[in-house]
Amino acid sequence: MHIPDAFIPIWQGAIYWIIALVFIALALRWARNEMNEEKLPLVAVLAAGIFALQSFNLPVSMGTSGHLVGGALAAILLGSPFAAVFILSLVLIVQAVLFGDGGITTLGTNIINMGVIGGFVGFYTFRGMMGMTKNMPISGFLAAWLACLIPALACAVEMFLAGTFPLAEGLVAMGIYHAIIGVIEGFVTVAAIYLIITARPDLVDAKVSTPTGA
Amino acid sequence: MMDNKTFIIAGVVIALLIGAVAVFMASGDPDGLESTALVVQGQKELTGATPEDAEIEEDLDGKFSYTSPMPDYSLGEALGSTGGLIAIIVGTFLAFMVVFGIAYGLTAAGKPAK
Repeated sequence: MHIPDAFIPIWQGAIYWIIALVFIALALRWARNEMNEEKLPLVAVLAAGIFALQSFNLPVSMGTSGHLVGGALAAILLGSPFAAVFILSLVLIVQAVLFGDGGITTLGTNIINMGVIGGFVGFYTFRGMMGMTKNMPISGFLAAWLACLIPALACAVEMFLAGTFPLAEGLVAMGIYHAIIGVIEGFVTVAAIYLIITARPDLVDAKVSTPTGA
Repeated sequence: MMDNKTFIIAGVVIALLIGAVAVFMASGDPDGLESTALVVQGQKELTGATPEDAEIEEDLDGKFSYTSPMPDYSLGEALGSTGGLIAIIVGTFLAFMVVFGIAYGLTAAGKPAK
């Protein structure tokens, strides 16, 4: 769901950019205050992994493909939605500048959708579900599914405001396609959490393995 | 438990493998957003296949346009999948290094001087 330059008027892109910059500033503050050097290997490996996963367009039938976003994964593993904002913002900048994947004037919008909305939806869904179910796979799956679907719906609303898509049609199409992509995102997110907990439990946010946070 | 070096190498190798497989296996169908654009422009049915000749109409009047050095994760037709592999490798390492570099700078700057 990387929005190209042609899909949003520059003035609207500028507004999204300003909002995105506020969250980027908060994410940098998070990195300075909350992240410690021990987490560096996980943060950097997640960036490489999310970049690679996003380049892989999986067929989702209906003449459509989709790739994973990774916002929920980053937020869950590092224990903060700002971790997703931090990693996704930088990955999206690399994609836009080097590969033309997503526009420059729309980069702020893409950061809001995939980093901010994806990160916050993924993180709080995971925390809420863990509190209720104490079950990592169920919580991780639902968090990742919603962190794929909700940004897609936000994107449809932005496309409506930009005059690019009609509201209902955009919401239905974006919703259907990303509900399917989100299922793949859910499975991969849970698998990745398992792999990383097995390899390095010490790097993962404590609430992932101990649901009560005790 | 894995040490940091092994963890980083294993992680980057997995990322590169995913990227390499993507170069050969990724679906050529438009992504969710592009597909939606084709639907609203009447070129594609919501649940139908994407026609070969479907092309998104872009209204570029007064809009910014930018040409990236490696558009669509490719180095051009001539280099084919080799170019695709190079693009993915460059991107994966760059994403790793940019995030590592900035995260390292911030965590080191946030600590009191020793």
